[in-house]
Amino acid sequence: MSAPWVDLDPTLVVVAAGTTAVGAVSGALGCFAYLRRQGLVGDVVSHSALLGVVGAFVLAHAVTGTATRSLAVLVPGALLAGTAALTLARSVSTRTRLNDDASLGVMLSIFFGGGLFLLRWVQRQSPPIPGHTGLEDYIFGMAAAMTRADLWMVFTLGGGALLLLLLLWKELKVFTFDPDFSRSLGLPSRRLDLLMMALLVTGVVIGIQTVGVILMIALLVTPAAAARQWTSRLSNMVLLAAAFGAVAGAGGALISASEARLPTGPVVVLLATAIFGLSLLLAPRRGLLARARARRALEGTAPPAAGGPA
Amino acid sequence: MIEFWTLAIAAVTALACALSGSFLVLKREALVSEGLAHAVLPGIVIAFALTGDRTSPLLLVGAAAMGLVMILAVQAIRRTGVVDPTASLGVVFPALFSVGVLLTSLELAGTHFHADCIIEGNLALAPLDRLELGGRDLGPRAFWSVSAALLLVGGFVLLLFKELKLLTFDSELAASLGFRPGRVHVAWLAVVSFTVVASFEAAGSILVVALMIAPAAAAVLWVNDVRHVLCLAAVLALVSAFGGHQLGLTMDIAPAGPMATSAGALFLASLALAPRGILMKGRTRRRVLARLEVDLVAARLQPGLPRDCESVRGELGWTPRRFEAAVARAAQGAALLHDAGEGTLQLTAEQTAG
Repeated sequence: MSAPWVDLDPTLVVVAAGTTAVGAVSGALGCFAYLRRQGLVGDVVSHSALLGVVGAFVLAHAVTGTATRSLAVLVPGALLAGTAALTLARSVSTRTRLNDDASLGVMLSIFFGGGLFLLRWVQRQSPPIPGHTGLEDYIFGMAAAMTRADLWMVFTLGGGALLLLLLLWKELKVFTFDPDFSRSLGLPSRRLDLLMMALLVTGVVIGIQTVGVILMIALLVTPAAAARQWTSRLSNMVLLAAAFGAVAGAGGALISASEARLPTGPVVVLLATAIFGLSLLLAPRRGLLARARARRALEGTAPPAAGGPA
Repeated sequence: MIEFWTLAIAAVTALACALSGSFLVLKREALVSEGLAHAVLPGIVIAFALTGDRTSPLLLVGAAAMGLVMILAVQAIRRTGVVDPTASLGVVFPALFSVGVLLTSLELAGTHFHADCIIEGNLALAPLDRLELGGRDLGPRAFWSVSAALLLVGGFVLLLFKELKLLTFDSELAASLGFRPGRVHVAWLAVVSFTVVASFEAAGSILVVALMIAPAAAAVLWVNDVRHVLCLAAVLALVSAFGGHQLGLTMDIAPAGPMATSAGALFLASLALAPRGILMKGRTRRRVLARLEVDLVAARLQPGLPRDCESVRGELGWTPRRFEAAVARAAQGAALLHDAGEGTLQLTAEQTAG
């Protein structure tokens, strides 16, 4: 007799560790975007990353002559494209009459459309560039393709992002809740804003291989929205969102491994959504059930309205 | 003939998307199109599985209903007041899209979607799928479904233009005037949802979003009137559809990416060239400032009395460069008389009379 975990497929261990880490990191980082009311910014970053990934692939091929899909090349590309899309969107919405929604939507169209354009062009090349087939996986995600090297990349980048978060905790907290106050304290708000953007982009970039550029937004927003239901302290919210993300990530990897036809990304997202739904209903103070009960209790104790039926 | 139908489908799709997208952009809810473009997927798959008949018009309606489900779910979550409004869209649409992708991968009822079609549609194959009625070939089915969407959007805009405008710019005023902005809004979004579904087959999710947002956002930088925004957005969408199609043909790739990129390129061009774009706005500002400087100099002068340049400059506290530039501009526009030899300034007769 052996313990059940000894039988685990080593590939599954890598994949599950990867999705768990991705869920935890994006859950934690998503809290800040959520609290700054920039929930949909992550969607634009992740879609834009496609252009960066394909662009970096093409550039690496043109420069070195060999095709590489190593994350060491693709991640900087994605970081660059995500940051560029956000910066452009920001400058459009501050300097024209268009609001955030429109400027973000336009940048999404340009960067994702451009990424798709470039991807189809790469696939048309003859002789074919070796390794180009894997690029497609970034759209819908392919957690099963995660290698040990990818896992280390996730750990390094995710760990680095969380470490930065911890080191600059106080500054980021003040900046998130009260940007004006943080400016009056003499904190460099431009640099903090950039740092926030960089953290968000990092969270997106390590996740897109797992869940794909389309569903990445759910890993940022949904655990944060769920965690917000249970607590009003930032530290608790971040920890809880990370835990929710990790549970969804691990569960998604295990469920999709047991049923071979199920893709991992959507399962992870639906698990996170289920956690959100339960939190929305059941949380002690902000939950809908608790609020309904409190309202009934209030109506029960209130004196009957004057002039009402006797 | 195939080529003709391809272009016709692309053109009608572009028009329907641009018209509905304009109001989304003006109402500052452009990303609703991104949500709808993903949320209708499970609707399409379920409707396929239930009817088992891919030619049924019920399919379009059923799938559009899923878009409405998303809208209502987002509104319900917002109404609880405990979830951030922008985030509620970000929670709902990925969940619905996930359901769609899972159903697709389970290949329910033998329906099989290729993953690419969800994002890019399949414009190349759309003309081959014909609509037949009583044995007569009426042209591609996709053409009729996007035409129905265009008719619906166009009819809604024509009949309820006033309500839509009021709702878009001041929904509180609309409510106080006795309209029901909530109901009109939901009805309008149902029409938008139908447009998304009808366009989905030929255009895919990316192109729907690009055609809804980019042309309208570009048009807003050029013109003010809502009607002008609608017309210009329609023209820009048509140009991007045709241009992108041509680009796709030349490079032998699916047209969705090139069309979306063309729409984006037109937006970037507008950003640079339009009166309310980034570059022109700076130029307009500089021009206004220059005129203001001339007025400031003129305000220091009395009619008929020449004054020494240096003392005027001293009163204004300007650098010599700034002052000389303003005086040169004023003299050029015949607003002031500048006697360089004497170093004096004087109002012109025209200015004196004014």
